[in-house]
Amino acid sequence: MSFLLPCPFCGPRPVDEFAYSGEVTRRPTESPTLSELTDYVYFRDNVAGAQREWWQHRLGCGEWFLAERDTRTNEVLEVFLPEPGGSR
Amino acid sequence: MSALAFLSPSGCEPELLASPLVRALEGVDPALVTDLSLDGKVELRGDVDSIAVGEGEELVRLSAGRGLLLTDDPAGAIDRVRAGGLRGYDATGLLAGFAVHGEQLMRRLTDLDLDALPAAGPFAHVAAIVLRDDGDRFRVYVPQELGHDVVHAVLDTYAGLPAWP
Amino acid sequence: MKRKEMRLAPREGERIDRSREVSFFFDGWRVTGFEGDTLGSAVAASGRQVFSRSFKYHRPRGLYCCSGHCPNCLMTVDGVPNVRVCVEPIREGAVAAAQNVVGGLNTDLMSAVDKFGGPFTPVGFYYRTMIRPRRMWPLYEKFLRNAAGLGRVDERRGSSRRYDTEHRRARVLVVGGGPAGREAALAAATEGPDVVLVDESLALAGTQLDGVEVLTPARALGIWEGNLVPVEFGTTMLRFRAERIVVATGALEQPLVHPGNDLLGVMLPGAARKLVRDYSVKPGETAIVIGSDAEALSVVGDLEEAGVEIVRVLDLRDGRPRDLEAQGWKGRLRRVLIDGHRIDCAVLVASSGRQPAYSLLAQAGARIEYDGALGAFVPTELPAGVEAVGAVTGRGLERTDSTPAYGGHGKCFVCICEDVTTKDVKRAIAEGFDSIELAKRYTTVTMGPCQGKLCQLPSIKLYAQQVNAYEAELGTTTARPPWAPVEMGLLAGRNHEMARRTSLHFRHEEAGARMMWAGPWKRPYAYGDHPEREVQAVHESLGVIDVSTLGKLLVEGPDAAGFLERLYPNRFADMAPGRIRYGVLTSDGGRIMDDGTVARLADDLYYVTTTSTGADAVTAWFEWWNAVWGYDVDIVNVTGALAALNLAGPLAREALARLVEDPDDVSAEEFRYLDARQIDVAGVPCLALRIGFVGELGYELHFPSPAGEHIWDALVAGGARPFGLEPQRILRLEKGHIIVGQDTDSESNLLSSGMSWLPKLDKDDFVGKWAVEHFGEREEREKLVGFRMEENVVPAEGAQIVIEGYPVGRITSARRSELVGEVIGLAWVPPERADPGTRFEVRVERRMVGARVMHGAFFDPAGERMRA
Repeated sequence: MSFLLPCPFCGPRPVDEFAYSGEVTRRPTESPTLSELTDYVYFRDNVAGAQREWWQHRLGCGEWFLAERDTRTNEVLEVFLPEPGGSR
Repeated sequence: MSALAFLSPSGCEPELLASPLVRALEGVDPALVTDLSLDGKVELRGDVDSIAVGEGEELVRLSAGRGLLLTDDPAGAIDRVRAGGLRGYDATGLLAGFAVHGEQLMRRLTDLDLDALPAAGPFAHVAAIVLRDDGDRFRVYVPQELGHDVVHAVLDTYAGLPAWP
Repeated sequence: MKRKEMRLAPREGERIDRSREVSFFFDGWRVTGFEGDTLGSAVAASGRQVFSRSFKYHRPRGLYCCSGHCPNCLMTVDGVPNVRVCVEPIREGAVAAAQNVVGGLNTDLMSAVDKFGGPFTPVGFYYRTMIRPRRMWPLYEKFLRNAAGLGRVDERRGSSRRYDTEHRRARVLVVGGGPAGREAALAAATEGPDVVLVDESLALAGTQLDGVEVLTPARALGIWEGNLVPVEFGTTMLRFRAERIVVATGALEQPLVHPGNDLLGVMLPGAARKLVRDYSVKPGETAIVIGSDAEALSVVGDLEEAGVEIVRVLDLRDGRPRDLEAQGWKGRLRRVLIDGHRIDCAVLVASSGRQPAYSLLAQAGARIEYDGALGAFVPTELPAGVEAVGAVTGRGLERTDSTPAYGGHGKCFVCICEDVTTKDVKRAIAEGFDSIELAKRYTTVTMGPCQGKLCQLPSIKLYAQQVNAYEAELGTTTARPPWAPVEMGLLAGRNHEMARRTSLHFRHEEAGARMMWAGPWKRPYAYGDHPEREVQAVHESLGVIDVSTLGKLLVEGPDAAGFLERLYPNRFADMAPGRIRYGVLTSDGGRIMDDGTVARLADDLYYVTTTSTGADAVTAWFEWWNAVWGYDVDIVNVTGALAALNLAGPLAREALARLVEDPDDVSAEEFRYLDARQIDVAGVPCLALRIGFVGELGYELHFPSPAGEHIWDALVAGGARPFGLEPQRILRLEKGHIIVGQDTDSESNLLSSGMSWLPKLDKDDFVGKWAVEHFGEREEREKLVGFRMEENVVPAEGAQIVIEGYPVGRITSARRSELVGEVIGLAWVPPERADPGTRFEVRVERRMVGARVMHGAFFDPAGERMRA
């Protein structure tokens, strides 16, 4: 993998400067049942297509951000900063 | 005493301090690699665009909320930025710093765009902050604990250049 | 056979400088050529023909493509295996040695395989014949390993060459310096700067193009995502990032597949042309030329000019012969049979047309389609940022005639790299390997050094013919980088393995420490060969250990307490400033991630330590959760900013008191267990934490890393004996303290690890709360317990615990403790075996040894010593 990922602060950089932290998941707000908890902790949609995911510019500015990436082509459609208190 | 006094090397006599690059640079011509490790540095958090950069200071903006201030007086700078509603942390001991020369040397150690510095990015595979001065002088700041080996990588790279300066 | 000099009289345009002779060794013989020669051209000029022995049959092979594509001239040069000597510039004193031979190039003992091995070594023979009897496998394996691969790495010379990596940027990168590539480069240069042209041949050396940086010989090895193009440039790998890539790699001459097509003297038109034009070498005295396009047939002019007698020219566009066979003697071409006519000749220059060299484009994501009119595969649907110009697009090429369908008797090679014949391919199809991808793997066609450059098209055509399909349906196999063989050293670059070193690293070395890797850090294992004496010093007097590797984080802001409360199972909001608590981080799945201490320095300021390997991960974890939650806190990783020393032992207080201004500051009353205080030690501002990981009275001093050596020296001068990681492991085990990652793994949770007291379930939320609640509802599968061995033997970490013959658990740590007088450790056991005193057995050195479960600390269980 050598695609370029546009950091919201540093601009396009090789993907190996970033840490990938998986697709965006939604943390339960109320005490979940065991099955809800298991879904949240272990299950992922793993879509073939546009996916919203977490990235951190580990070797650069260090900031976390979200990216919308096509998992089939590695085309990065959009990057944006997380909204506090929003999705996890 | 400030709650974070224990972060500041400027709180003790200079002769008690040693640069992390001392061993790596033993016998090395300072013109090749100049040790800047003990120069003052402050890590900034908050609206970095709002701070007043003093005489002889340099601000490297890393993101909207992070920056590195290079200053001769970290303690004073911290007081100043904190008074301005930002947070500042003495990063003098955090980062080893050095100056090197030559675009080709830099190209062998980083894929950062040398025409778009300062920037934060990999240098010798290590997270670094890189600045460009007049001509072909570059300044590089890396985590202190990796400084020794990064300088070895720099010296090794110099040795491989077609024209050893 | 007598050798005849093949060098021609000086000619216009030759690349050699006859005034400068250069000598080297070839297969043990001294060969002299000229500056400007390649090793290969100089050897050819000396009249020698054999450069290698073929992979399987050990047939003699000679110059065939002269372009660095085919396997025929691979030799070991100055210890570097698989050098293509046809493109390797000549150099004084070089030693080129034959590969894949037993004996010499001309007397290879293994060549018997060619005569007798044929029927016994069909394609895929090793899958079938070398299976039984099973006990023979070691012998088979030895044989196969010997036969597999080409060349040998000289391990002693392995590091004698230097390889560098260089990052480059280009607005436009043109790959290929033929007319189309040069034109594209010049056009790009009129639009702006940063135009680079790379060409793999020696032909462009010295070429000047206005506004273009010309690199030659420089070979683009592939196109990766993000327009990353690694270019082999001597011993430097140039990693280009280009905004635009123009591929002008041209087309590759394809072999004519007929019986005897690998004999010495059979070559591609381009090879003959290069020998004559560039190096003034006469390919032979008499030649037959066969071609299917004007490009190939034009070599007749070059040969005639060189004084070669052309005995026959066959233009395949006028129709192909039914039978075509090259015949020879001892591997050398003697005559060619064309439809029954015998024609004597020394050289057969033959090609079946040209195939676009599309590999780079295919790697970049272009579609490769069969063009029926051209009889070749062409690239279509180029990805954004990548263009193609010239022959690689198929433009200007004539129809190929590559189907191997010539009658005759001798071996007929589809693939000269792997010695695969048409017969082998037909057999594979008969065995059912009728998909092109499967057949590739079974026959290994296209898998040799040329990577399909010379065999892809003919093999697909043969397939199409045999299975009665269209080439368009079959398609091609996947083109993967690298485009050409590349030295491993070039891929590896310089070995800059980075170690994290504390600011005390060299003090440890000076004190005789044995340094070891501990995650990304280098740390002292022990100072000398007696870790137990270092343990003893800590128990009886005073020790000091460098713990600068601990992760250190500041969490500051109005929400600092709320943030940590939500991140940790522990409670931190009720801590008074100046106090410390042990904290464990868990994930929402309830798994233990890291542990350390949390000190409150002020209402809105906490100082958090992590494990030595956890600093980066914990920082990222904190920052990530805060990106989600958006608390008003800043998280600052100050790990490297601070050195940390743990001064431990009954004399710790006295020793510290001598280094501070006011000894009362460190008195038992003023500075209690689990207090955090700022004090100046030996003139340096320190944050001192009173904690007891090693079980004795101790102060962890955190202070600016540049003052590391100064404080260390002061403490050692004050009587502290340095101790390393190994003594620390013994000390903490005596206390039953766990090490996260050593005694816990990704399955361990707070309840199974014996820390059910830690999570504060009355909090509204914390990361991992729900999991702990659910864990509480079921019985744990295993529990972490202490144990003492019944004998004085130390089980290995990871050793199995066996009960009634079944493995039921494992040892995570075990050491001999002089103080306890026994071997002690930690282990995971089933809950029903977790009660104190329960006996289990551990496998140690192939026998079972008994051990008994033991809870709590093995030494000073009430913790009186560390609280003293």
